[in-house]
Amino acid sequence: MAAALIVCPRGACVVRISAPREHRCVDRAAIAGVTSLNTSDTAFARERPIPTIGVPGPRPILLTSTVLVLVALVVLAWQHEQRLGTPTPVQATSQKPEPRALSAEEESYAASLWEIHREVTPSAVAMSFAGIVYETGSRDKDQFERKISPVAAFFKGAEARVRGLPVPASLLQVHNQYLDALVLYGKASNGMLEFAKDGERQHLVEAHDLHISASQAILRAGEVLWPGQYKPH
Amino acid sequence: MTRLGRKLQTFASYLAAPVVMVLLGASVAQAQAPPVCSVWLIESSRFMKVPFGAFMPDRAFVPGSTDKNNNIPTVDLPVNVGVIKCGSDLILYDTGWKQQDYLKMTGSEHWAPIGEQLKVLGFNAGDVTKAVIGHAHWDHAGQLSDLPNAVLYVQKQELAAIEWALNYPEKHIRAINSDPGGCNRTPACGYMPLTMEEVYGKVLKGKAVVVDGQLEIAPGVIIHPAYRAHTAGSQLLEVPTSIGKLVFGSDAFSSYEAIRDWMVANVQQTDSVQQFLAYERCYKITGGYENCIAAHEPLSYTDKYPITKNSWVALNGGRMAEIALAPGEKSRKP
Repeated sequence: MAAALIVCPRGACVVRISAPREHRCVDRAAIAGVTSLNTSDTAFARERPIPTIGVPGPRPILLTSTVLVLVALVVLAWQHEQRLGTPTPVQATSQKPEPRALSAEEESYAASLWEIHREVTPSAVAMSFAGIVYETGSRDKDQFERKISPVAAFFKGAEARVRGLPVPASLLQVHNQYLDALVLYGKASNGMLEFAKDGERQHLVEAHDLHISASQAILRAGEVLWPGQYKPH
Repeated sequence: MTRLGRKLQTFASYLAAPVVMVLLGASVAQAQAPPVCSVWLIESSRFMKVPFGAFMPDRAFVPGSTDKNNNIPTVDLPVNVGVIKCGSDLILYDTGWKQQDYLKMTGSEHWAPIGEQLKVLGFNAGDVTKAVIGHAHWDHAGQLSDLPNAVLYVQKQELAAIEWALNYPEKHIRAINSDPGGCNRTPACGYMPLTMEEVYGKVLKGKAVVVDGQLEIAPGVIIHPAYRAHTAGSQLLEVPTSIGKLVFGSDAFSSYEAIRDWMVANVQQTDSVQQFLAYERCYKITGGYENCIAAHEPLSYTDKYPITKNSWVALNGGRMAEIALAPGEKSRKP
């Protein structure tokens, strides 16, 4: 494809059309818009420039227009292919922050908390399932209580264990967030036990809301401490 | 009446009877034929740069390979949600997941809330009457609490298998996540607390149907069990449309290319034999592989996955496709 270079030294424009194989050497000043053009290629230097005075003549305008149309066609074709091919994101949603590498002290905390966390998640899901089984099957409050009691005891113990962990100052906020989640899970399990005693369904509704809040909180803490803990499924 | 008149009357009645019967038969058949549905596909979010081999073992990247099956290092996986309008029913097949700020680091982009995405199609979250989840993993059964009027359909076997795993004595088997780097295929892997509590929320509010096997949830719209095709209680959804029957498969049909080429994909709690049998189910119901709707096909929304090619970019860079329109249904494509 041909390329056009328009240079206007002191108001008089020169249009040069060159084939891509031709080597052109344009100095920095020319690139910056200053009116000088050096050529090191003799073939290029021998080309006869088209002189104009002030306004380019019809031939350069025609040639430049042709080149611009060709460029536009190439751009449109490229965009069309992009739409048809494997898509690329049209707009990025957000700057994706890279997880910060944890220090040795922070790693130690994360590892200690993981030993508790790995039992927190199934216990939280066990609460959900005690509710699902009760609602869809047995409607047996004693059985429901037998399922929730150990979970409530677990969350009480887990809260105490987490409070006992040495916490790096940099992770204090995350630590408190995790503790808050355990407190909410504990309250949720106690609410479910109250339902087992008095049959008041409002306890279950409130416990459900607490559970949702707690589950969101442990995700937020986990995102800092164990950023790869959930993979595409 | 003359004899000739009586004969003519008798003749006419003989002639009319079959005509009336044919007309009656046609109207009965018309009444019994299930109405066709309109179908759209929306991209809940996209997992970016997933190693191809982690998604499809037979497509693992081999450096320097010129084999088209082994020369792609990573793929971007959409999380597809089906939007199905059948008469007055608005049905979702899978519900995506709720990405909040804290989950941006998991390598996903282009997420938008399900309610906002439905608005792009001219619907509201409150219009959704049914939510059929192909399985209960976190990226397919989220956002349920944002669909206040939707009745959830989940397979009994799915719930039973999670409960079994939770009560298993060995800690790796009962773990939701077996290690900080994430689990892959352990039995309870992928069922995070937030997701399961949202499932329970539907049950608690009396808006859940625990399906045991096959179930027709609207005329011609049929849930088919696909046990162990991805998880213990995976389920497919057959949908009648103007372009023939479609079958949504969630992660039992993770990849369109896998269904076409008979390869396993997205092996989690998957029995590969059952996954192939799920593929076969789609071939039998639809007559081929083109109308099998995959949950994570990297070629989604392009002409390389033809049924999804009528697509556009919507919220936050997420894509949508208009797959089929019922007679009289207006196009929702901008």
